Amino acid sequence: MNTLAFATITELQQKLASKEISPQELLSYYLDRFAKYDGEIGSALEIFDKESILKDYKPQGILAGIPGIIKDNIAQEGRNLTCASKILKNFKATYDATATARLKAQGALLVGRANMDEFAMGSSTETSAYQKTKNPWDATRVPGGSSGGSIAAVAAGLVPWSLGSETGGSVRQPAAFCNLVGLKPTYGLVSRYGLVAYASSLDQIGIATRTVRDNAIVLSAIAGLDAKDSSTLPVEPTDYTKLLDGKIKPGLRIGVVENAMQAEGMDSEVLAAIEQAITTLEGLGAKVKRITLPMMDYSAAVYFILSRAEAASNLARFDGVRYGLRSKASTLSQMYCKTRHDGFGPEVTRRILVGNYVLSVGHAGEYYDNAKRVERLMRREYVEAFKDVDMLVMPTHPIPAFKFGAFDVDKLQMDLQDYFTCSMNITGIPAISVPCGFTSQNLPIGFQLVGPHLSEDLLFQTAHAYEQKTTWHTRNPKGF
Amino acid sequence: MAKITRQELLKIAHISSIELHEDEINPTLQQLENVLNYAQRVQEVAADVRSENPSTPNGYAGLRPGSLAVNVFREDVAVKTDPKPLLKLAPDGEEDFFVVPKILDN
Repeated sequence: MNTLAFATITELQQKLASKEISPQELLSYYLDRFAKYDGEIGSALEIFDKESILKDYKPQGILAGIPGIIKDNIAQEGRNLTCASKILKNFKATYDATATARLKAQGALLVGRANMDEFAMGSSTETSAYQKTKNPWDATRVPGGSSGGSIAAVAAGLVPWSLGSETGGSVRQPAAFCNLVGLKPTYGLVSRYGLVAYASSLDQIGIATRTVRDNAIVLSAIAGLDAKDSSTLPVEPTDYTKLLDGKIKPGLRIGVVENAMQAEGMDSEVLAAIEQAITTLEGLGAKVKRITLPMMDYSAAVYFILSRAEAASNLARFDGVRYGLRSKASTLSQMYCKTRHDGFGPEVTRRILVGNYVLSVGHAGEYYDNAKRVERLMRREYVEAFKDVDMLVMPTHPIPAFKFGAFDVDKLQMDLQDYFTCSMNITGIPAISVPCGFTSQNLPIGFQLVGPHLSEDLLFQTAHAYEQKTTWHTRNPKGF
Repeated sequence: MAKITRQELLKIAHISSIELHEDEINPTLQQLENVLNYAQRVQEVAADVRSENPSTPNGYAGLRPGSLAVNVFREDVAVKTDPKPLLKLAPDGEEDFFVVPKILDN
């Protein structure tokens, strides 16, 4: 049965259809793998018992009988929902997120809650209040973040797919660190109803899988208009696998973002792997053009300001009154201040403080207003770029997975981990990170394809054609 | 360079309703200054937008380029929900109310 561990959703569907294995057996198989390997990896905050996972299971839908894991900031009714924070330690979701409900309606089996950076604030999953998650490719290194648990679980062959969330690159970056396909959909394509808000103008639920086709299957299950989230776009249910025939769109024009490729700090092995990927795309018939996006160099600064400002507002709700942790204090205002001090970790506290600083009288003009102005420039730059090319290619991340504690002293360098990914969150466009090689130390490398709003079908088609020409996605970490 | 005073930090912490302990103040000051110093680079290009849109108060009002988002309206209809599951999550409660510490000290 070991061949099942790293099977794709498509392969599992065939095994289920031919009755080679039953959904119950498949679920038991993966639950056993969690029991055996997750003590070492630490990807899950909780794995549910088999009976409760199968409760209400109906063998129908595009994910019928396929187990997956959900990041612990997406509500699953009756289950704990902690955002890996002490402040929500005993909080139980009273309803399903729309994404959760749609997955269940398509027959998916949701096995647990995945570890993450506290409130999705981090790039290494080290800010979780509960545990570290290790990179299955090298246990001395981080899996990336903030969706590190979701990604590590798939990478170690514990489940075939997972949901994460993206505010500045939190699915794509760990996917690149762990040899997976990671999607950040268009802003508004996937409902955020039931996703705990971090920065609402940037947040979007994302998907991690072994292959492009698997990613398209999961997106087909969760995408589209939702009356419960007014920021969703009027998109009808779509089969995102329909264009996956191993070919790219005839005459596809790709723009390689040169200022990303030549950015300071780019690892030479990562750069070489991406140049090789570009050659492969040219071999498939793509017309490649080198372009520059000067505004991208401001994206991390814009991201710092907007994400912290929105977080300061969104996280005001955690005050010890209606749910979550409450610290003992003699007055109400002392209770607020003590609860939030005791309940939030240092990274979350810092982001709230920066957020209220950049919004405060005397500083909002210098920071928040300017960031909103530059956001317009970034959006305009992408609109102009997509007049000349159909999509962009750039690194997902300048370096491979780093060691635990690498940025403990210099927090700013940790913050700058979002350099290549956050501009898509700021502008709302979709991007997909795809495996494209390994370093000499056997660490995975990914690159991203970036398209205009609602170009997911084109991104999947191109990424899939690329994947069919390579074997990187078929490599798995040893020891699992 | 962004320079935050101890007093400014304590004021922001107060606005944020987060207690800061004495040993947390200096490291937090330093980390905030690092982030803000980096973030200041937005000023370099922001002025271009402002001069383009003199009629809008901040230079960024209106629809954002490339955005597909539109205003969404719905009827304002009350939906009846059972408050009990939510009240059960409260750290302290009585009947249909949340109980909190007293607002004023003696």
